[in-house]
Amino acid sequence: MFMAQLLASAFRMATPILFTSLGAIYSERSGVVNIGLEGMMIVGTFWGAYGAYNYGPLWGVVFAIVAGMTLALIHALVSVTFKVDQIISGTALNILAAGLSRFFCLVIFTMATTSPTVKGFTTWNLPLLSRIPWLKPMVTNLSPLIVVALVLVPVSAFVLNRTVFGLRLRSVGENPLAADTLGVNVTAMRYAGVLISGALAGMGGVYMAMEHTGMYLEGMTGGRGFIALAAMIFGNWTPTGALVASLLFGLAGAITIRVQIPGIPYQFIQMLPYALTIAVLAGVVRKATPPAAAGQPYERGEK
Amino acid sequence: MKLLRNRERLIQLFTPLGAVLAAFLVGALIILILGKNPLTVYARMLSYSFGRVDSIAIIMYRATPLIFTGLAVALSFKIGLFNIGVEGQYRMGVLTAAVAGFAIRGIPAFIHIPLAILAGALGGLLWGLLPILLKLKRGVHEVITTIMTNYIGLNLIHYLLTGPLLDRNQVTGFGGKIMRTPFIAESAQMPKLHGLFSLFSIKLPGYIYLNWFFVIAIILCILVYYLIERTTFGYEVRAVAGNPTAAQTAGINVRSIYLKVFLMSAGIAGLAGLSELMGYYRHMEVSFPSGYGFLGIAVALLGKNSPFGVIIAALLFGFLARGAEGIQILADVPSEVITILQGVIILSIVVAYELVNRYIRIQRKKEAA
Amino acid sequence: MAKLVLELTSVTKTFPGVVANDDISLTITEGSIHAICGENGAGKSTLMKTLYGLHQPDAGSIKVRGETVRIDGPGRAVALGIGMVHQHFMLIPRLSVMENIILGYEGARLGILDYQRAQREISELCARYGFKLDPARLVSQLSVGEQQRVEILKVLFRGADILILDEPTAVLVPQEVRDLFRNLRELKTQGKTIIFISHKLDEVMEIADRITVLRRGKTIGTVEVKDTNQRQLAEMMVGRPVFMELNRDEREPGPVMLEVRDLRVQGEAGHQALSGLSLQIRAGEVYGIAGVEGNGQTELVNAIIGQQPIQAGVIRMKDQSVVGRRTREIRQLGVAYIPEDRHAQGLVLGMSIWENSVLGYHLDRQFRNGCIQNREAARRYAEELIEHFDVRTSSAEIPALALSGGNQQKVILAREFTPDPDLIVASQPTRGLDVGAAEFVRQQILAMRDRGKAVLLVSADLEEILSLSDRIGVIYGGRIVAEVPGKEATADQLGLYMTGSKPGKEAATP
Repeated sequence: MFMAQLLASAFRMATPILFTSLGAIYSERSGVVNIGLEGMMIVGTFWGAYGAYNYGPLWGVVFAIVAGMTLALIHALVSVTFKVDQIISGTALNILAAGLSRFFCLVIFTMATTSPTVKGFTTWNLPLLSRIPWLKPMVTNLSPLIVVALVLVPVSAFVLNRTVFGLRLRSVGENPLAADTLGVNVTAMRYAGVLISGALAGMGGVYMAMEHTGMYLEGMTGGRGFIALAAMIFGNWTPTGALVASLLFGLAGAITIRVQIPGIPYQFIQMLPYALTIAVLAGVVRKATPPAAAGQPYERGEK
Repeated sequence: MKLLRNRERLIQLFTPLGAVLAAFLVGALIILILGKNPLTVYARMLSYSFGRVDSIAIIMYRATPLIFTGLAVALSFKIGLFNIGVEGQYRMGVLTAAVAGFAIRGIPAFIHIPLAILAGALGGLLWGLLPILLKLKRGVHEVITTIMTNYIGLNLIHYLLTGPLLDRNQVTGFGGKIMRTPFIAESAQMPKLHGLFSLFSIKLPGYIYLNWFFVIAIILCILVYYLIERTTFGYEVRAVAGNPTAAQTAGINVRSIYLKVFLMSAGIAGLAGLSELMGYYRHMEVSFPSGYGFLGIAVALLGKNSPFGVIIAALLFGFLARGAEGIQILADVPSEVITILQGVIILSIVVAYELVNRYIRIQRKKEAA
Repeated sequence: MAKLVLELTSVTKTFPGVVANDDISLTITEGSIHAICGENGAGKSTLMKTLYGLHQPDAGSIKVRGETVRIDGPGRAVALGIGMVHQHFMLIPRLSVMENIILGYEGARLGILDYQRAQREISELCARYGFKLDPARLVSQLSVGEQQRVEILKVLFRGADILILDEPTAVLVPQEVRDLFRNLRELKTQGKTIIFISHKLDEVMEIADRITVLRRGKTIGTVEVKDTNQRQLAEMMVGRPVFMELNRDEREPGPVMLEVRDLRVQGEAGHQALSGLSLQIRAGEVYGIAGVEGNGQTELVNAIIGQQPIQAGVIRMKDQSVVGRRTREIRQLGVAYIPEDRHAQGLVLGMSIWENSVLGYHLDRQFRNGCIQNREAARRYAEELIEHFDVRTSSAEIPALALSGGNQQKVILAREFTPDPDLIVASQPTRGLDVGAAEFVRQQILAMRDRGKAVLLVSADLEEILSLSDRIGVIYGGRIVAEVPGKEATADQLGLYMTGSKPGKEAATP
């Protein structure tokens, strides 16, 4: 029973990471590094809360997606069209998102750091499974968004590996020049990748505000955008891998809240995702293979 | 041809100004949305910031940490590395300097202060070591590792401040214990600049915390400039920055240059929070000011990676921070407008540089034809 | 009489400063293999890019199958049945052969890929043209020859019947070249037209039906293979009788300056780049390395100057082993290096000329006071170099990128030759230079030889090797397979060794 509760908690904590790391995969697979995911999550938390507060949970999600995509559009414009360093653009967006959210929170809710409480979706109990007692915490009072996130994993895997869109997206992330000579529109694919990542990061954000906490709190993302990047790397840029990594990181989060392990301060468990990611990148765990052209702006050669 | 080069230089010089201007236009737009007149708001901001000498001193105080982080980022940019870890490195530096400040007692200030500064630099340097080693040994991109070490550092500092380094003897008020270190010894506190100002018959009030770290920051910028532009080491740095392959072929140890410059960047980052630690807070706490590392990126970009550009850009950001207070108090405009401006400045500056570079390329091509 | 599939009339294309194609006219017959020959910079690539829609001609007309067309992009070219196999492969290693082939031409319904159909179609193509290739494999696992087959299949998959192959053999080993030629002949018998761009005359003679020679952007002529020979083609390409004698005194070579013995080096791709290479160079001689690119030349040079770890073997300079030493120490022993790619390896383009002229020597006593650079001394030195080597520039302060290619190379020569080295390692020293600058560089190299320096010359330009070298070593498969005195060597003979078609006896028993 306790294990099930812990796992249920892990799933809840993994969901925002999962959404965002799926988004990160689309962006990086198209060749655009997206450090701005944290910022996109932040605007997702705020505008999600705003939408949910005024128009209900569904609109919360819509607002969050639009907010995330708006920031993503800036990222695409700056880094794909203007070919500015993707890291710089992402960093600026994070600063911008923090400022914007605080500003609008103050203007709209007259408080700088919190929104009023908002109502989320009606929770689901999975039929049949919820009758099994020991599974109960896992399958009752489930946010629909958790289910959406989980469904998005096979969907993303299919999109990336089995569709024309996915093939072209991967090809511009690996070798934009080759893709271009074959008539693939590099700019369009990269915009698509970045915009999808913004939408998904926005969903990760709105999940936190609307479903997890029930309000917008300044700084509530607490670096989950970066953890999502870590999950993407840990999952070797694949949706299934991102799921495993997100669950692992979610579990680490759940443990820090629910379990006291004597001798290990909880901060050390919180470091785990970051430390593991470094280990993966250093090749201690296994080889990390990022898309070959990630981070490089594409310039069509003259002559 | 010469005329053209001069025009290019002029354009390049004015690019940062244009970008700042663009950012202020965006700010004006936001102020308009709030139903205020941007001109009067900006006028208030200016008069509030530059109306009195003590306000200028506050701007200098605000700029001090940014000069350090800006210089740290600029150094890493110089050799084509991206030290996003400045944020974590300066917090680590504050922690180690705080430890050196409170753990050691009974030594004179002229030893204690340098010791604390050294501790800060070492703390920052230590936190930059892993990313650069992984970069050189295993080719791991420093951006990701420094992001990760930032968060590891955050958690480590949190643990230390709530556990081993917590000041258990603090007099608790209503809210219970603050998660902070003990106060640093008086001998580790940095004297204010009031004395220096009084030489010019300027009397600063007691609530100004501007201290000698501002002067140290300026001197450091001059030293870095001299190091890069005049020494053989700096020559190697510039060669590696310009073309690592050619530098390697010429027998320069490129990896060693990368290592040294990155560690220098991290060490300088370690000094960024000391002005506030040794001149104001006198302890490290969980809510010690954050974000200087990320703003340092903006400062370095705006300052075009030049040490003197960094000083000017940091002062501009100091002015923004000061002006933010002004418009909040006097014009009832949320100070967050300024944070937005900072973000917009970065974006507009990089886009502006890119556009200018493209323009120059086209001009050169035309010239060549 | 076969019909004409492609007719070019007076095609002209200029770039800033150069006329890349000047009034070019040629016709290509359906179902033939038509070679376009010319030296580097003759305008072959520009012409082919024009055909593929990557450039628009400034003047002239193009007819495809009798109809005048405007090829305004690769998409248009593909629609006209023209396909291009680039010299540098446009492949994505992490994708499968199949994914690489269908990319951009997926023909999918509802955006979902039909891998089974694609696999079937590719297998059919392979069977029809006799290609051996497994569509499911990752491109990263393929050999270079197989990768080229993927490139050709990509073009065929798009329905091309005119195939342009840009220097297709440059990256292949001889066995792979034979496979490629077999594939090309098969394509030809099935009615495809092939345009084969190359400067390798032996290959052109072997595979082509007809040859058009370009020189400095102009068509020199079109000849039937059966009516010509290599010598005639070479003269057409170069524009004067080849192998003209350069004025060179015969000298008695001095002591051995560089000795390489049984050198084994692993290449970047993990292959055995050098497999037991041995050579000796004496003072006062130019030792030329002839060979098809990619046979270990780069690794040899890098190993000598300390930029490449070696697995086994001996490298001695003036009786001192340099194995495991840093580049800086090796240079201090008196080694000058003219790198293959002056932009990538020779200069820091953003730095001024004076800064570039002390690069690598910046720690010499004369250029510093302690750890402070002596900028005045460096400037004065640079001005001397500019004077002596006739670098055309208004001042030593301007950045190296503002110089012409020839002047950039002069800066490198000046920097490397002035400190009086004992060994000069020159890699492709005249590549991409105009005729005048190239002559200057060659003269400087010979001058150094006459002053008793040992010179290792690596060049893809056989004529250059033949005219400069006292001894010529032919490198093939990471070994020196033959060593010939410069006077006695002929291009034909070297060519045979270079392609591995004649095992060298001279070097077999050292």
